[in-house]
Amino acid sequence: MKKHAITLTVNGEERDLIVPSNRTLLDALRDDLGYTDTKYGCGTGECGACTVLVDGKTSINGCLTLAATMDGKSITTAAGLARDGNLHPVQQAFIDNDAIQCGFCTPGMVLKAVSILDENPNPTEEEIRHGLEGSICRCTGYTKIVDAVQDASNRLSGVGE
Amino acid sequence: MGELKVVGKKVERVDVRSKVTGGALYAADVQLAGMLYGKIVRCYDHAHARVTSLDLSEAVKCKGVIKVLGPKDVTQKEYNASVLDMMVSADMRGVLGDIDDQSIFTDHVKHYGDAIAAVIATSEEAAERAAEKIKATYEELPVYLTADDAKQPDALQFRPEKPGNLAFQLPEMAFPNNAYAWGEVDDSFAEADIIVEDSFYVSKQKQCQMEPGSYIALYDDQKRLNCWTSTQMPKLVQKKLANLYELPMTRVKIHTTVIGGGFGARLGMVLEPETCALAMAVPGRPVKLLSPREEDWLTSPSRHPGKYWMKMGFKKDGTPVACDAKFENYKGAYYVDASGTAFTTGAWLGGMYKFDSLRYRGESYYTNQSICGAFRGYGNPQTNFVMEQMVDRGCAQLGADPIEWRKKWHKTIGDDGWCIGVPYNSCALDECLDRAAEAISWTEKRVKYKNQTGVKRRGIGVAVMNHTSGAMPMLLEHTVCDVLLHQDATATINLACSDMGQGSHTTLRQVAAETLDFPYDDIHIATGDTDAAGFDIGAHASRTLYVGGGAVKQACEDVRRQLFDRAALELEEDASNLYMEDKIIHVKGASNKSISVQTIADQGVNNFMNPETGELIGQPGQIQGYASFFPPHNAPPFGATIAEVEVDTETGEVKVIELVNAHDVGRAIHPGVVEGQLDGGAQQGLGMALTEETYFDEKGICLNNSFTDYKMFGPSDMPKMTNILVENPDPTGPFGAKGVGEAGIVPPVGATANAIFNAIGVQILEAPITPEKILKALEEKNNA
Repeated sequence: MKKHAITLTVNGEERDLIVPSNRTLLDALRDDLGYTDTKYGCGTGECGACTVLVDGKTSINGCLTLAATMDGKSITTAAGLARDGNLHPVQQAFIDNDAIQCGFCTPGMVLKAVSILDENPNPTEEEIRHGLEGSICRCTGYTKIVDAVQDASNRLSGVGE
Repeated sequence: MGELKVVGKKVERVDVRSKVTGGALYAADVQLAGMLYGKIVRCYDHAHARVTSLDLSEAVKCKGVIKVLGPKDVTQKEYNASVLDMMVSADMRGVLGDIDDQSIFTDHVKHYGDAIAAVIATSEEAAERAAEKIKATYEELPVYLTADDAKQPDALQFRPEKPGNLAFQLPEMAFPNNAYAWGEVDDSFAEADIIVEDSFYVSKQKQCQMEPGSYIALYDDQKRLNCWTSTQMPKLVQKKLANLYELPMTRVKIHTTVIGGGFGARLGMVLEPETCALAMAVPGRPVKLLSPREEDWLTSPSRHPGKYWMKMGFKKDGTPVACDAKFENYKGAYYVDASGTAFTTGAWLGGMYKFDSLRYRGESYYTNQSICGAFRGYGNPQTNFVMEQMVDRGCAQLGADPIEWRKKWHKTIGDDGWCIGVPYNSCALDECLDRAAEAISWTEKRVKYKNQTGVKRRGIGVAVMNHTSGAMPMLLEHTVCDVLLHQDATATINLACSDMGQGSHTTLRQVAAETLDFPYDDIHIATGDTDAAGFDIGAHASRTLYVGGGAVKQACEDVRRQLFDRAALELEEDASNLYMEDKIIHVKGASNKSISVQTIADQGVNNFMNPETGELIGQPGQIQGYASFFPPHNAPPFGATIAEVEVDTETGEVKVIELVNAHDVGRAIHPGVVEGQLDGGAQQGLGMALTEETYFDEKGICLNNSFTDYKMFGPSDMPKMTNILVENPDPTGPFGAKGVGEAGIVPPVGATANAIFNAIGVQILEAPITPEKILKALEEKNNA
């Protein structure tokens, strides 16, 4: 199989790697580069555990994306959201709202929330729920995740500060 | 009890920082030097067949392959992946008839996805490639998917020791006439004015925990078998693997990794035996086995589906005189948990209402489906679907309000609980029902939704449940806890209870902090290492906070007693005359006489000599607390759900508008944790009622073992949710707490079904209640 020399910037760090054509971004991140914060949940794009951000905003499923097509792109995983030791406001909101149980969906869910808020800084509850479709959580019934995204929206837009 | 400082407070959970940044290591994330990868070859052609030939030769030649293993290349010992047999005495095991009927690889395929061989290779991809080269031929056998199929006289027998393919029925010795019963049911029915009776189907729901099965095993140079697994039950899996591989427990170590959800799917062994079999074949090399979602679906247990018949009799005044029921479950290909759920399904029924007499028979039949085992609720959701619909049918015929009837006739303090002879010692179900009814305007809506004629019809329904905190006295209940007081006066709590995401390590830490009267941040919960931790059953039966918390509390009380004893010696006072504040122990009424916990802890470790006097300073010996805790009871949680739905009578679609869940939780050690259990339980309960079922075609091929084809409630499907925590401390729970891990899933099942009944005036007898079943029922009603 053809191999591709590609460069990915992951969480701000430039990484060169060689991948066969069929290598998914998920496998490249996890197995080749060690970003195990990106999770395998289904491999079919249904659960969103492998969500990453491209160029800081667009959320994609790592399991449905071929690594070779991402040459030159900037990828953000959950590990790359914190700045100077401070959690991203969305991460902090997930903690403060008890939106984390088993945590397996959390990295993808947090990144999905970041992309929702990037697109629409003041979403309604319905818009948040719609935006989270495609990310499965089996622990929380989504209640506190929705609360967390709402809370993060308020924090990011300065409401209540 | 004085004012609580940590219990009941919304402290930050112990694990969330590493989870939100992705730093938490689940089994699939663990990397070891020299790692090899396993791939199990499974039969996806048939659900029942004999392997007539198995050709491994092409696979052996593939690049990267280290070893290819067939049935004869691994242990020939049969085993039972369930751990239930380790929670009862040997005598009881004989009475129950538990058997070992699983093997690592089989030449008799009994379900779609049964394992026939395996490959070990240098990469996951190489293992997969080689696995595809393994060629098997099969002799097809008849497929039995239901109890009725399996009990046909000419059906092939799954096991010679289980005639009629009846894997289990309630044993005569413990249950006369093979029934969990009291009173004389037939006599009681003769007194009934109203009798309701029907046959239901309850579905094969899947846990769908987000982390698929992932394992690593290493038979190391010290001849110790190591297994990294996200198991709910490290100590029992350790013992099970020791038995299977004939090793002393000192040579088996379970490294419990962060657990990405359990819900029963990781209760007992799953693919630990197979992973260890691969590791034993390549001593010194770690082998990783990662289940794709589709494989995890078929290899971890599901809920027990089956046919559930029930008959209830009432007097005109509402008195429940008799209940008769029989659950024939479709056990799947192997015995696993054939006994536990078959019993408890009836126990929850028996624990709910004051019938004059009751009889429940539970039978488990082998079928050519994937295995069944524990799933949150453990038979209770099945019973809730059936029992609560039958009660509402009875109420409809009696003209009784479903809430008032339940308040009058549910069991309460002093009545026999789910285990006959063990009475309930706390119950706040009436308050749950009252507060839920008020929150959703029950009375107004029951009137408003009568006689609707539009296309979309609203309905409101209620269901109640009883459950348990730990499995005592049915099963062994025991947790060992050690507390190590460090020289800086912080404490590490060591016990083997897994936290599968429910938050138990947080609540256990709160219990420890409250008992020791230390700040929350001064406590660390250490788990996951079976070398270090004492015995624990594991995380099941909503027991971790109740039993684990009991152990933590007792061990921390031991530390506190030792601290006070030492302070008494140092201060030359009676221990009863001392009190502690901010980790300083004072003499009552003498503010100048005190000693800090820090000093006692430090002197215990650093017991230096005073150079002037030559005497040792302070009391020697590092303080350690210990408890080997057997709980006195099972502190039953009670709960009620009221559901409001809207049914589209043209499409059959059901929209759940609102759920109010009111639960008697004893005490909410961490309100956010408790709410999370109820929220998540409700998502699964709604799925059980409306969407979730594992489907098989007539040949036993599974049709929806993936998230693509199996419908769970998503973020937009979830209704408005209100949780009401009724805190009525249980006299035996740590700080009054009861277990709430399973309670949340149960009453949404019956409440949703009853809300649909209320909306359209007809009951749907098969779970899940899908649109086509509603349309069919409406059509039959119109034609009647």
